[in-house]
Amino acid sequence: MNNSSQFHPDDTMLLEFSAGTLATAPSICVSAHLHFCSKCRTSLVRLDQVGAQLMSEAKPLELEDDAFESVMANLDSSPQIAAVSEQKRTSYPFSVSKLMKNNLVSQTWKHLTASVDVARFETGQNEFEVALHKICAGGKTPRHDHHGLEYTVVLKGSFSDENAVYREGDFLVREPGDVHQPMGAQNGECICLSALSAPIKLTNPFGFLMKPWLRINPM
Amino acid sequence: MSMQNTQLKSPATPKTDGDRVAVLKSTEKRSDQWSQLLISVGETHDRAAFAKLFKHFGPLLKGFAHASRNEGWFPGLGDDLVQEVMIKVWNKASGYNAEKASATTWIYTVARNCRIDMLRRKSNTQHLPLENEDFWHEPDEETPISLLQQKRSEDKVQSSLAQLPKEQDEILRKVYLEGKSHAEASAELGLPLGTVKSRVRLALQKMQVIVSTEAQE
Repeated sequence: MNNSSQFHPDDTMLLEFSAGTLATAPSICVSAHLHFCSKCRTSLVRLDQVGAQLMSEAKPLELEDDAFESVMANLDSSPQIAAVSEQKRTSYPFSVSKLMKNNLVSQTWKHLTASVDVARFETGQNEFEVALHKICAGGKTPRHDHHGLEYTVVLKGSFSDENAVYREGDFLVREPGDVHQPMGAQNGECICLSALSAPIKLTNPFGFLMKPWLRINPM
Repeated sequence: MSMQNTQLKSPATPKTDGDRVAVLKSTEKRSDQWSQLLISVGETHDRAAFAKLFKHFGPLLKGFAHASRNEGWFPGLGDDLVQEVMIKVWNKASGYNAEKASATTWIYTVARNCRIDMLRRKSNTQHLPLENEDFWHEPDEETPISLLQQKRSEDKVQSSLAQLPKEQDEILRKVYLEGKSHAEASAELGLPLGTVKSRVRLALQKMQVIVSTEAQE
């Protein structure tokens, strides 16, 4: 998929992704963005070239005597893995599709507020809560602050806040102290992937009613 | 070869942009020996070609594994990584597309994913719902950059990497070879995180790695 995303991950974040040192939850979000953004895919190809060049400058170490023979012995019994290019493409990013399949998302949607549903993913880490949020057409979300980092990627539809309109593929980072009130587009529901590192604090005076729902819940 | 080049440069035969790319693709083949060998493995299961790749990349992969000192590291990681990566190279070689990456870049991406997954499996007894490979499934389509552009950027990366100031080179090596995050690199070097990131950005600018939004279309 190609579109012209307006909001991209920071250069240094893409580099950490290419080096494989970015934590799992933000990596899921970056991979979701790459599904939509050809510009960042091109940058990533070049970042991988940097990694390849550095690997080829690594100090070569002598292998065990039987290393080659034992690999050759394993080749005969190894099944052929289908080439990546043959894999079926879905409208959702691969990593998200796999999470949805593993987590049976259709059965885990829960109401967060009248206009927002959430489905949490098990991702094998506990630093971030990774979830899908579905905002109904024209739905308002509670105005909220962030205690920790929040990464968001729009997977379907669009939403807006005080600053801009965010469309499919857009990658957003919210830092502690950022207050915003996202609103779903009028013309259809919006689905976002998010990774959240700490509880969201509601700034609405009646927000305490919703707090238990928004408690961070890493799985 | 020379005729085609003349034709390419000749103003008398106007070509559309698409034609020009096609001509370049047919004359510009990836000629480095590793890519040729990897193509042979993919197309004909050429064991002799595989043996040559093994001899070259095996010791580098072991060196790459030993450069990492992350959580989950264990003494046998190097030999295990060589095994796992080379078996994957054999199995996946038929999906290798020389127009998209050199063999070295392709093998690097396999090695990176394997190394992370091996370290995570060691340090995390939990079932992992995603493997690192799962994050890299997207870019397989009509490549946005041509082979010629690829090779240009490879050359640029190679030559400018060698000329980076030591302080920038040091951080790139920590991140790519040792597998450190920017935060870990900053703690280890006793530098503010902002300084680490700005050195990374300067290095990326010199290597012309990041595609700017304006240059996209």
